[in-house]
Amino acid sequence: MADVARLFDEYAAAWARGERPDAREYLARAGEGEAELRELLDRFLTASLPAEPTEDEVAAMQAWASGQPPLLELRVRRGLTRASVVEALVGRLGLGEAATAKVAAYYHRLETGLLDPRGVSERVFAVLADALGARVDELAVWRPPPAAPALYLRASGPDLSVVAPASAAPEEPRDEVDELFTGPVAT
Amino acid sequence: MHDARDAEDIRLLAAADHATLLATYYPVVLERCRLRLPDPDAWEVAQRVALRLLGELRRGKEYPVPFRVVVQMVTTWTIKEFFARPRTDPWPEELDLPAPDPYEGFETDHDLRLLFGDLPERARQVLELRYLEGYDHEEIARRLGIERNAVDQALHRGHRRLREAIGG
Repeated sequence: MADVARLFDEYAAAWARGERPDAREYLARAGEGEAELRELLDRFLTASLPAEPTEDEVAAMQAWASGQPPLLELRVRRGLTRASVVEALVGRLGLGEAATAKVAAYYHRLETGLLDPRGVSERVFAVLADALGARVDELAVWRPPPAAPALYLRASGPDLSVVAPASAAPEEPRDEVDELFTGPVAT
Repeated sequence: MHDARDAEDIRLLAAADHATLLATYYPVVLERCRLRLPDPDAWEVAQRVALRLLGELRRGKEYPVPFRVVVQMVTTWTIKEFFARPRTDPWPEELDLPAPDPYEGFETDHDLRLLFGDLPERARQVLELRYLEGYDHEEIARRLGIERNAVDQALHRGHRRLREAIGG
């Protein structure tokens, strides 16, 4: 089979097995056939059957639909305290105990939808994924539905731009913690 | 042909179990968004799809097509909207037409078995084992008692059919 056909075949079979392959990895390997492969994969995904959702996925959606932050719901369901997650972040990121309060403030904002996840480092998400056993970057982006009782970010829609990146202590010089949770300063 | 899926969706709709319904389809919605958008935008558009569907479900909207078709069509529209001006009407007029005929194409478009429906039976069996069950080529050959080369030929026909379906 030609490359596009082989890539499609590999992706579609993996999806059918419930593996959730990343289509963009396949597109990146398609070279000049990228556009064709994109259309083929879209056609396949449109016509394929969805896998049964996991308990975590249903719980996250239930939380979102009822106006609760899915990331907060996940931590509570895992029986973890916020302090234990913060401790894991400080330890695994090698930040030292002095950074605990600042990390805790940032994590609280991330967990409750008040921190733009686009600025959060992949290192932070990796630690959280280990601690919580889930793709935290995908949970942190959820905004509450407009009609739901918004217990966290009050936004009219899912526009992520409404969450302005901000430092926990903007009057102080930015440090490693700021960069981990809000991204490096653009130069 | 997605009878079991459609029956389960009808049950979830009747039970107003919107979370399970949306959780079932969210991965495929997000994946389709990721085909065309980088992650921050893909997340946002996938969330718009979920928002739109949740709003309609809460209002008790009844659909003239299976829910899986609704999800895919709303996903397609929402991705298009992202590249164009915002729409105020979330539901194209043609979906409110009472006659069933306009939806025949939708069924074919949203069901792999129907898409491959007029291929020879052995080719359909190969395609279903590969793209609905995810078996590897050797296992398909073993299960059907055919040569590995015959599996490759059937997959080639299926790929060609998909290319025809996307106008390639």
